[in-house]
Amino acid sequence: MAMSVEAIVGERLVKRYGKRPALNGLSFTIPAHRVTAVLGPNGAGKSTLMRMIAGMVVPDDGELKVFGQSPGWKLNPSIAYLPDRARWYGSHTVSDALEWGERLLPGFDRDRAYDLARDFKLDSQMQVSGMSKGQEARLMLILCLARDVPLLLLDEPFSGIDMISREKIVAALIDSFSERKQTVLISTHEIAETEGLFDYAVFIREGRTALFGSVEELRERQGSIQDIYRKLFEG
Amino acid sequence: MTQPFQPEGGSRLNEFRFGSMRFVLDLSQPLYEQVLEQFRNSIAKGEIALGEKMPSVRELAQALKINPNTVLRAYQELERDALTETRRGQGTFITTDAERVAEVRRKLAVQAVTDFLNKMRSLGLTKDEILRLLQEKGGDGDVG
Repeated sequence: MAMSVEAIVGERLVKRYGKRPALNGLSFTIPAHRVTAVLGPNGAGKSTLMRMIAGMVVPDDGELKVFGQSPGWKLNPSIAYLPDRARWYGSHTVSDALEWGERLLPGFDRDRAYDLARDFKLDSQMQVSGMSKGQEARLMLILCLARDVPLLLLDEPFSGIDMISREKIVAALIDSFSERKQTVLISTHEIAETEGLFDYAVFIREGRTALFGSVEELRERQGSIQDIYRKLFEG
Repeated sequence: MTQPFQPEGGSRLNEFRFGSMRFVLDLSQPLYEQVLEQFRNSIAKGEIALGEKMPSVRELAQALKINPNTVLRAYQELERDALTETRRGQGTFITTDAERVAEVRRKLAVQAVTDFLNKMRSLGLTKDEILRLLQEKGGDGDVG
């Protein structure tokens, strides 16, 4: 597959928290209209990268371009971002959350949101405060997948979630990829279950790019993404 | 999210049945080629009937849990090969042209023989030795 137009370019990105560098000279390109996996062990810098692309973290050094622009408020309407931690109004119900999404989130498709809630078996009167982790993750994901925006950033959409919820999420993602021309980034540790979804992969080690490429080409040369991950990070 | 083409219940990931064809993906090899080759072989072998409707891109992607782009690329290649045809508003169908299928079958057979001969030559066998071996081994049953 030929490399398509690039959507995101990072050059020697650095971000320090105190003395510890979260990103330590990270360079990469993310192709447009493809699904890219962001992979690496805990603490490698995946979430920092996602937040940086979402404009919530500013690089200390290096340059980041998203659709040719520096991240910030101008780009925000173009990005649906699933953070690695939930923030809710506890008294909200599912339908409150979806109405909130419709009012505040650009590109929010209300019908799609309710369809997803039905597929995900979330009752619209269910209160957020009483939700299991899997239900909460599905609700957060609905707020992202219901948006027709150019860039979808999903930070750990599967972590700590039961198998059935994970399968529902994978199915919803496949539906979404068949319908939309979106650039998608997903960080995950659930490689075995999800690697068939990815067109590209960025492997991050200690804030730097350990490997980047087309998943099909990587398979051709080195085997499954799971095998490559093991080779890169074991020991 | 309807999935009429379900993977077998309780089976491993990335498995799928279509007609008498059983689809299994190996994640350590490029997926696009596997999708393409499994369809091509099954059509050539007659495991999928002429004129049969193909699963939609989304259905196959859902069943195999792979990116729809990958399925789409394989479908496009099958169509370029004239093994399938897309009818507007109806979906994609296996060709009804039996000659085209026979042609592809022959091409696959030629490829298999070429691979076989290359392997034999790399083992240092002469043409006569290869022929003798074929007659010897081909004589005991399957091959007439």
